[in-house]
Amino acid sequence: MSTVEAAAEPVLEVQCRDCGAKITMPAHRFAATCPYCASPSVVDRPVDAKGHRKEQPDFILGFDVTREEATRRVEGWVAKSRLFAPSAIKRAEVTGIQGIYLPAWLYGSVARSSYQARIGENYTTTETYTTTDSKGNTQIRTRTVTKTEHRDLTGNHSAYVLDVVVTASKGLGNKELETIEPFDLRAMRRYDAAVVSGWAAEEATLSRDEGFHIARDEAMDKVAAKLSDFLPGDSSTLVDFDTDFSEENTDLVLLPVYVFAARWGDDKTLRILVNGQTGEVQGEVPRSKVKIAAATLLGLGLIALIVLMIIGASAL
Amino acid sequence: MSSTVGEAKATCERCRTPLERGDLRCAICGLGAPNTAAPGDQKLSIQVLRCEGCGAAVAYDAKVGAPICSFCNSVMRLDEILDPPEQTGGFVPFRVTKAEAQATLRSWLGDRGFFRPRDLASRSTLESLKPLFWVGWVFDATAEVSWTADSDLGSRRSNWAPHSGVTSMVFDNLLVSASRGLNDEEVDHITDSYSLAEIESAPHSSPAGSVDLEGALVESFDVQRSLARKRIVRSIERTAAGRVAAHHVPGSRCRKVHASVLLKGLETRRLSFPAWVLAYRYEGKLYRAVISGQDAAVITGTSPFSFKRLLLAVGIAALVILVVLVVAALIASVS
Repeated sequence: MSTVEAAAEPVLEVQCRDCGAKITMPAHRFAATCPYCASPSVVDRPVDAKGHRKEQPDFILGFDVTREEATRRVEGWVAKSRLFAPSAIKRAEVTGIQGIYLPAWLYGSVARSSYQARIGENYTTTETYTTTDSKGNTQIRTRTVTKTEHRDLTGNHSAYVLDVVVTASKGLGNKELETIEPFDLRAMRRYDAAVVSGWAAEEATLSRDEGFHIARDEAMDKVAAKLSDFLPGDSSTLVDFDTDFSEENTDLVLLPVYVFAARWGDDKTLRILVNGQTGEVQGEVPRSKVKIAAATLLGLGLIALIVLMIIGASAL
Repeated sequence: MSSTVGEAKATCERCRTPLERGDLRCAICGLGAPNTAAPGDQKLSIQVLRCEGCGAAVAYDAKVGAPICSFCNSVMRLDEILDPPEQTGGFVPFRVTKAEAQATLRSWLGDRGFFRPRDLASRSTLESLKPLFWVGWVFDATAEVSWTADSDLGSRRSNWAPHSGVTSMVFDNLLVSASRGLNDEEVDHITDSYSLAEIESAPHSSPAGSVDLEGALVESFDVQRSLARKRIVRSIERTAAGRVAAHHVPGSRCRKVHASVLLKGLETRRLSFPAWVLAYRYEGKLYRAVISGQDAAVITGTSPFSFKRLLLAVGIAALVILVVLVVAALIASVS
C-alpha cells in the first residue's frame, strides 16, 4: 500500500548539508527539517525536473502565531465547536499541527466597466380613499404616500482592483483559503529564504494562468460590490455590467497557515486551518447524525409534553 | 543583507506614482515594485542558514518574527518592513512678524460685527502668541473620475433623476492637513495663503531672522506611511466628489454624488506650514485665533458673543414691528 502512495506523489531527495543524511520531501515542497540533526534546509530549485523555469515567490508574510498558540486555539475551537459534532472529534487530541507557507497569487488590475442599472427615486403623493366610520357612514379621506419611480441609468466605471488573494496550491482550495482571510498585507516582505527556514513551504502548484482565472472571478465580485455602492437614487438594482480587466499582474506570495488534519471513522478527514498571522481558526466540522436525531426527538418530546399539559389544564 | 538601491526615483509602471524607498508595492494601484536584487542561478541548491554567533543552523521564529538560533538564542536581522512614521520634507517660511500678528488680532477684534461686545478690542488681554509649524501633505495627481448622482434635471414625478459621467481631473498642489493642533476648519481657512516657492529643510523665516523661532511649536506627522496614503486617497476622493457636484452634474441641485477615482502619478510632498496661534482672554474666558504665517490678513478664530446685543437687536425689531402695526391700524381707522 505504501508503494502505491509513494508512486502517486513524486518525492524529492536532497542531502542534508549538516549531517549528510538523505531527506525526502514531497516534490512541491521546498523547505524541510532534517530528521537526524534538525537542520532546517531550504531548497532553491529554479528549474523543475523537465527544465521548466519555476515560479519564484515574490513576497512572504512571516508567521506571527506560534505553534503552541495555534494548537491552543484549535483545541478551544474544537471543544466548543458545534453541538452536533461527533464525540470522537470533540475528544480528539490536537497533535501534529503543522505550520506551512502556502503559495498564493496576489492579483491586481485596472477594471473598466460599463453598467446598466435601474434607479428608484422616491416621491410623495396624496391619494384619496374611502372608509367607513364607527357609525357605518362611508367617508372619503386623503393620505400621503411615498411611491417610487424607476429610471434606467447606464454609465461607465473605472477603478483599481487590489489585493485579490487566491490560492496557488492544488492541495488547498480557494474556498478554504477564503475562510481564514484576510491577511494583513502591510506586513509583507520581499521573499527571503530566512523566513522559510525551519518551516514547511510549498511551491506553486497552480499555474499563473490558473491563478488569473480564479482571481478574475474574485475581482469580478469586488467590482460588482463597488458598482452597487456607486449607484445613486433612493434604491437601485444593478441590472447588468461588463468589465474589462487591463494591466493585470500577479505576484506569488507565501502565506503563513497552520494545518491540523485528522482522520476519523474509516475514511473521513477533518481539516482545520489557522491563519498564522491573525490566529483565525476555521474548519468544516462534520455533524453526527445520531446527535441530530437525538436532539430532534428531544424537541418533539418537549412539544408533546407541553401540548399534553395544556390539554390537561383546560380539561380541569 | 540589504542591497543598495540607487537614489534615482523609480515610478510605478502602471499608474506612474513615484515609489519610495522600501515600497514593495505601489500604494495606489498595488503593482509590485521591481526587485532590484540579482536573480539566483539556475542550479538546484540547498541552503542552510547559519547563526553568525555559533554556526548552528537557524530557523524562523514566529514569536520573535525573525530567524533565531536555538543554541545561542541570537536573532538574525531581517530587512525591516518599511512603514516609517511620516517625516516632514521641508518648511515653508514665516513672513509675518510677531508685531504684525498682534496688530492683526487687534484690528480683527475691533471688527467682529454687531453681535460682539463693543469693548472686545480694548478689554481683551493677549495670553500667548506662539509660532507654530503645522504639518500637511501636498499632492499633485491626475485622475480619471467616473461618477453618478441624482439631480433635478430631467426629473419627472420625483424631484430627482439619476445621471452618470466620466471626466478627467488634475489635482495641483492640493493640501491635506495632518495637524493635530489646528482643526480642519482653521486649516481650510488659512490654506490658500501659502506659497510653496521657498522651502527649506529647517524652520526659518523670510527675511531670515525676522521671526524669533526659539520655542516655536514644530508638529510632527504622527501617522505611518501606509495610513497616511489611505488618508490622502480618501481626501482626494472627497475632493473629486466635491468637484463633480460643483462642475459636472447637470441641473441646479444634486444629491447622492458618488465618484470612483482612478489615480495616476500621485506625487506627495510632506511639508510644515507656519502659523501664529494666539490665545486671548475676555471676561475670564479664553479664546483662540490662528493667523497664517505668510499673510497677516488671513485670520480665523473664536470670539465671545454678546447676548446683550442680541437682546437689543430683538427688542428694536419688535418695536419697529409694533410701530408699523399701530400706524397701519391708525390709517385703517381714519379711512
